[in-house]
Amino acid sequence: MLELIILIPLLTGIIAMFLPVRLGRGILIVTALLHLQLTVFAWLGKIAPALPRYFTVTNEGMLVLLVTSFVFLFISLYAISYMSEAEISSEPIYNGCTLLFLATMSMVTMADHLIVLWIAIEATTLMSAPLIFLHRSKTALEATWKYVMICSVGIALALLGCFFVVLAMDIGGVHVPITFTSLGTVALQLDPVWLKAGFIFLVIGYGTKMGLAPMHTWLPDAHSEAPSPASALLSGALLNCAFLGVYRAHQLMYQAGLGDFSANILIGFGLVSMLIAAVFIFNQTGYKRMLAYSSIENMGIIAFGVGIGGLATYGAMLHLIHHSLIKSSLFLSSGNLLLGYGSKLVAKTGNMAKLFPKTFTAFFAGFAGISGFPPFGIFISELLIIMGAFQQGRTISVSIFILALVLIFAGASRLVTKMCFASCDDPEILVEENLARTLPSYALLLASIVLCIWLPDSLYQTILSAIATIGGGVNG
Amino acid sequence: MESIVSFCFAVLIAPLLPAVIQKVKAYFAGKQGPPLLINYYTMIKLFKKGSVYSTSTSFVFKLGPVVGFSTSLMMLLFFPMGEVSPLFSFHGDVLILFYLMGLGRFFTILAALDTASPFEGMGAAREAFFSTLAEATVFCILILFFRLTGSLSFNEFFSGPHVINLMGEYGALLILVVVGLYIVMLTENSRVPVDDPATHLELTMIHEVMILDHSGPDLALIEMGAWFKLLFYAGFLARLIDPFHSENVIVNSLLFYGVVTFVYMTIGLVESITARYKMNLVPKFILTPFILVFFVAILTMGVL
Amino acid sequence: MIHLSDALLSINHLGDALLSLTVLSVLLSLGSNRLRSLITIMAFQGIVVSLIPFFLEHHEQMSTSSIILLQVMLLVKGLLIPGFMYAAVKKIKIQLEVEPIIGYNASLFAGLIFILLAAFITSRLHISLPVENDLLMVTAITTLAAGLFLLMSRHKALTQVIGYLMMENGIYLIGTALAKETHTMYVVEFGVLLDLLVGIMIMGIIVHNINSSYDDVDTALLGQLKDN
Repeated sequence: MLELIILIPLLTGIIAMFLPVRLGRGILIVTALLHLQLTVFAWLGKIAPALPRYFTVTNEGMLVLLVTSFVFLFISLYAISYMSEAEISSEPIYNGCTLLFLATMSMVTMADHLIVLWIAIEATTLMSAPLIFLHRSKTALEATWKYVMICSVGIALALLGCFFVVLAMDIGGVHVPITFTSLGTVALQLDPVWLKAGFIFLVIGYGTKMGLAPMHTWLPDAHSEAPSPASALLSGALLNCAFLGVYRAHQLMYQAGLGDFSANILIGFGLVSMLIAAVFIFNQTGYKRMLAYSSIENMGIIAFGVGIGGLATYGAMLHLIHHSLIKSSLFLSSGNLLLGYGSKLVAKTGNMAKLFPKTFTAFFAGFAGISGFPPFGIFISELLIIMGAFQQGRTISVSIFILALVLIFAGASRLVTKMCFASCDDPEILVEENLARTLPSYALLLASIVLCIWLPDSLYQTILSAIATIGGGVNG
Repeated sequence: MESIVSFCFAVLIAPLLPAVIQKVKAYFAGKQGPPLLINYYTMIKLFKKGSVYSTSTSFVFKLGPVVGFSTSLMMLLFFPMGEVSPLFSFHGDVLILFYLMGLGRFFTILAALDTASPFEGMGAAREAFFSTLAEATVFCILILFFRLTGSLSFNEFFSGPHVINLMGEYGALLILVVVGLYIVMLTENSRVPVDDPATHLELTMIHEVMILDHSGPDLALIEMGAWFKLLFYAGFLARLIDPFHSENVIVNSLLFYGVVTFVYMTIGLVESITARYKMNLVPKFILTPFILVFFVAILTMGVL
Repeated sequence: MIHLSDALLSINHLGDALLSLTVLSVLLSLGSNRLRSLITIMAFQGIVVSLIPFFLEHHEQMSTSSIILLQVMLLVKGLLIPGFMYAAVKKIKIQLEVEPIIGYNASLFAGLIFILLAAFITSRLHISLPVENDLLMVTAITTLAAGLFLLMSRHKALTQVIGYLMMENGIYLIGTALAKETHTMYVVEFGVLLDLLVGIMIMGIIVHNINSSYDDVDTALLGQLKDN
């Protein structure tokens, strides 16, 4: 019964809303553990869906689910300590909503039906909005409003995309269930014009959620205003889920023989996202905003890699995993900084190496990782994407790609060195760091290093079979 | 013969109908309102009086009311009231007609400017501006009707092989034209919400402020011209929405005037329940029908 | 002897009339400067839009469930959401002026451009379109584009919601225009879920103003988050 992965967090989430804080925390951890366990079972193919019309086990879905579940566990561990320190009055709402959020994200990863996928992505917006508003400040309200508004527009356009895909089916005279699996088998009979139109709207719609520029405007605000565990969850899990929507659409296009069309669109969006992130990261004043722009950049890299195809697709999938691990770790560290300095502004920070040595280690290592230094996995994934692009002869795109990477590294390192080593004007520590809030960051980073050095064979096989459906593979 | 009778009837009934508006407004205000024949009494009163002319005005000032009145009268000559064909009709008469109306307005504006009163100059500027905006709609409607009937004559609009009517071909789209024409009617005849004929402050007036200096028979002519114009537009609208059709000329005409009265009553209704727009919002109100009619025009043209 | 002149009061004719009214409401909403009148226009549009499927030729044999769904839609779009918005205006005393970023005249001209664009797109799609109803398609695209425009060109949070609602109506109309077979109809019906989002947004406006005493839900006032 695969749906348990959705149902369990759904139920516990509703319960946790009404429970006292302590009990809610317990439920959060227990559910996270249970979810991870179920996910591993599902990944090993031990549970079958009870409603095969709507849900299915796909390789790419399982990959994202695994990452989500893994990241979620550590974020929850962190959140318990963070929440008690940050004195957020509505912690039951956090406990409940993250669990509901986990449920909707799991639903995205398993959805096979076009509309179920759409509903699931819409639901992730609704469930995560309260998380962003948790601080109840005026800026939080603005960020939440932007988030809900922009993502709703995206969702509405995605529905239009669904219409077009179904229309392509009707015009082609195909009668199969509206699921990606069955559409894939008859993809060649679908009407190409409407399928293309449908793809464009699906990419715009789900791309809004994924943070592809120029629809990314909600992302920096939401990530900087949400409490840090929620930001980590948004960046490390939600963006991947939205990406899955885009990926499914691309898969369908590839099966219909229109892979080139969709690949070019993905490359375009990817490069634009990276360039915009590169431009905006330069003058950021807040470190959480900087991390948010880095997320936009990394989503751009993933879209680019998937668009390039071949070896780059493999790189993109690795990138997805490592980005989730490292970026959540970074957001968790930034939560410590926010507690310690009491400000989101880079100008108010400084001398982190002395003041917060543990957080500094995690933050600086995370920064090195996200910039693509070994031994972190992003080094390999970016290298593979670049190699893949050269193999495909995409010289111009890959030059822009590298340029954007360099710019982002330059922009971000300026801020990070300032935060870590420059002297601090007001070296007053509001909240001391502790191990409960640094160990999850270390764990996530460690996972990235381990996966870089030793990739389990089953994971490797899963990635390979996932990317085989869009024409990717390690042999070019 | 029928045409002459119809024309005379239209001229005679024109002062009666605006009183209907006043009645409706009075009803909404919970008052009794003036008698239906009020406008005839006013006319008699005004014609008995003499005119006063400012020493600073020239012959242009005296010309204004006369030209305004005669052009309005000519409109009724061309327009088929009821299903009776008008006295004059030829291909292209709609163009002449709308330009005659423009001529009348031109002289009214000129007379207003001739008084050298700052109020009247202001009113003249507004009148010129707003009617220019309304003209876009009018010509869009004419282009559309030409597309639909292949004719440029009022008579053929309503009696040719392709009758323009809400119930006919393209009827659904004509709803938009009716709305557009209604707004043009309100604009051209200085009704609420574009202009308020009953306001008491010159600064807020458009049309009324231009005729402040006219008196006696001159004022009477201007008023009559305004009534004819209103009757023309109301008749135009009535022809578009009139769903009835009868073989008998008299029954037909009665039905037609019934619809015309209905149009007048809706004007009274609009004036009772809406307030005048702020001056800066009026252009938007006048542009809306243009876009509506434009929409219809594209749909019926070869674009699709 | 009086009779209605050779009327073509067929089903199709009424459908066209409803579509014309939709366009009318779209343009009126672009030019509307009062929040209350804007809400009234949206209620009118909601009713008209949800009635349209009844009068389309190819929807003559509708299943019972979809008829019920359409009635629900009528209730939601025509009554529930506008009523909700009225409540929001009343409860939190939003200023009644719409406060456009792009002026009314320019908005109307934008509407004109959308119509042209819609006509152009429709004529281009003509080859592969399943239904021969140009007016429906033009209206649908115009509504969608105008809704997006309204969303972006007005300051107030509530007007943004209204823009969103209009966009959603446009999507629903496109769906009805294209719906030919059971599959498409089935998908179109899920548009109701978008109304849920609208409801939640309005609820957000109401609740968070009462809770935290923000004087205004003007998103322009909420303009503190930006990149420098």
